[in-house]
Amino acid sequence: MTMNKILAGVLLGLVLGALDGGTAWFYPEARPLITGILVGSSFKGMVVGLLSAWFARKVQSTAWGITVGAGLGLLFAFLVAANDTLNGRHPYLEIMVPGFVVGAIIGFVTQRVGTPGTAVKEQ
Amino acid sequence: MDTAIGGAYHRFPSTRLSLVEAAATGLPNEALERVIALYWKPVYRFIRLKFRKDNEDAKDLTQGFFTTALERDFFARFDPGKASFRTYLRMAVERFAQNQYAAANRQKRGGDIEFEPVDERAATTESPEQAFEREWQRQLFALSLDDLRAHCEECGKQLHYRIFEAYDLAEGERPSYADLAARHGIPETAVTNHLAWARRTLRGFVTDRVRGTTSGPRELNEEMRRVWI
Amino acid sequence: MDLGDSVLDHLRQVAALPDLAGTHYELECEIGRGGMGVVYAARDRELDRRVALKVLEVALAGEAQLIAKLEHPAVVPIYEAGTLPDGRAFYAMKLVTGLRLDGYVAGLASLAKRLEVIRRVGEALAFAHARGFIHRDLKPQNVMVGEFGEVYVMDWGVDAVAGTPGFRAPDARLDRRSDIYALGGLLQFLLPVPPPPALQAIAAKAMSADPAARYSDVAAFLLDMERFQEGLAVEAWAEPWWHRLRRYGARNAVLLWLLAAYAAVKFLLFFLRNL
Repeated sequence: MTMNKILAGVLLGLVLGALDGGTAWFYPEARPLITGILVGSSFKGMVVGLLSAWFARKVQSTAWGITVGAGLGLLFAFLVAANDTLNGRHPYLEIMVPGFVVGAIIGFVTQRVGTPGTAVKEQ
Repeated sequence: MDTAIGGAYHRFPSTRLSLVEAAATGLPNEALERVIALYWKPVYRFIRLKFRKDNEDAKDLTQGFFTTALERDFFARFDPGKASFRTYLRMAVERFAQNQYAAANRQKRGGDIEFEPVDERAATTESPEQAFEREWQRQLFALSLDDLRAHCEECGKQLHYRIFEAYDLAEGERPSYADLAARHGIPETAVTNHLAWARRTLRGFVTDRVRGTTSGPRELNEEMRRVWI
Repeated sequence: MDLGDSVLDHLRQVAALPDLAGTHYELECEIGRGGMGVVYAARDRELDRRVALKVLEVALAGEAQLIAKLEHPAVVPIYEAGTLPDGRAFYAMKLVTGLRLDGYVAGLASLAKRLEVIRRVGEALAFAHARGFIHRDLKPQNVMVGEFGEVYVMDWGVDAVAGTPGFRAPDARLDRRSDIYALGGLLQFLLPVPPPPALQAIAAKAMSADPAARYSDVAAFLLDMERFQEGLAVEAWAEPWWHRLRRYGARNAVLLWLLAAYAAVKFLLFFLRNL
């Protein structure tokens, strides 16, 4: 299956973001807001996926891909956590730490999948 | 050594045929002569060591082998893929001697071929097979040296032979090139050249004699490797 | 004339050296004996470089021409074929400085380097097979590794009648499959102890007693080796499930660690919040 890297990154981010958001179901206090969480998480994942894939087109390095993906994941997770409140406080830890790891995964996979497109010299 | 066996060997360059070629063109006598000239002493020595015969018995057996066992299809039956001619011949000797062992057969066939008396060599620690190979080498060179000497006589290169003899055939200490040059009144470079020529020519004769008892280029290459150190 | 032992041996020695007068080569020293002839190091005066001279009593029909047709990085180039003044035949070829494979192995080269050697030999073999040539006597003594890792396969087309135990296929035919057998033998020779089971299986398949059971060509052999190096399943070996799992794990190690990290982090946070 040949798929453009950017598209692959976006789809991957969407799926992983949704799954990550879905784990909020285990937190009873978050359950009523689950829909919003899922949407937000998916959107966050898509953005990270897009940016990671764009980076992967420019730089081919597994190590850097992981680093950048993790960094992006952390950043956007922070933004989300800063806007949310749960039990009267911002859930920085619960969102940022998993977000960091998910970002790393997205960064790793975008280095590997899809056709790079114009980043690679055409023969 | 009797020059009747030497025959036309000291023609140079040689056009000697290989064993198989000679047999194929129907020259069994010539092939036989070559084989006898080279192999008589090695076979004699082999029989003495392997079957512990005394001088007379061994001579008789050797004589018997070469006159009766070597018929025309001896060469035809030889298969170069299985073993060298030397090994094939040695095994034939063993078979022959074992067949003769019981019989008190003492056929003395005199005739065309004369053999000079062989020396007594001191008992050695080598095996009969090793002795056979060693005698083969010795006889090969002895015959080739005869060829060389005769050739030098023919071509007027007696000086070459004398220098070669003084240096390469010296038992014990060898004279220096300078000594030889002084002794014969020639420059040292001439000594080097004469020696090189003699060795090269000797080599040619050795190769020819081996070629005459091998079946083709492949066997020749293999046999020659056993000749040299 | 009766020759004493010392004179006999002396003659055997002096008359053996090749006489290079009249050629543009200068003899240096003997470097080896193998196959049909003796190999010497010599200097080519015209081109001012060292060469190897293989000297034979009689030229083996077509040997030089055969090697000259095989122009490949792993085949020693032949510069000249001719006859010496003393009547012997010689070939002048590239002087390879390096180790024969038996010496190379003793130097504890890594598995990756050893497999690289097999790969180069295989490529040379495939090249020759494509042109209709067969090596016939492939063995560690006929492979040399140069100081920069270049691999040379020598002594092509020599029909080793006696054969070399361990590298000569049990069936008498000499064709591509017997070359593949020898290549398997070479791999076996290079395997470390204990050997990786997949590589052992590849070698065993190449060395099957039944020629039809071996790899059909050198390319198939090399492909299986490549699969091993990439952590994929090897055609020659039916691996047990737990080995397959381990291999999958090794190939996808990074991803699996990241997923494990995610799971660990989630669990940790979940249980910590209860404290």
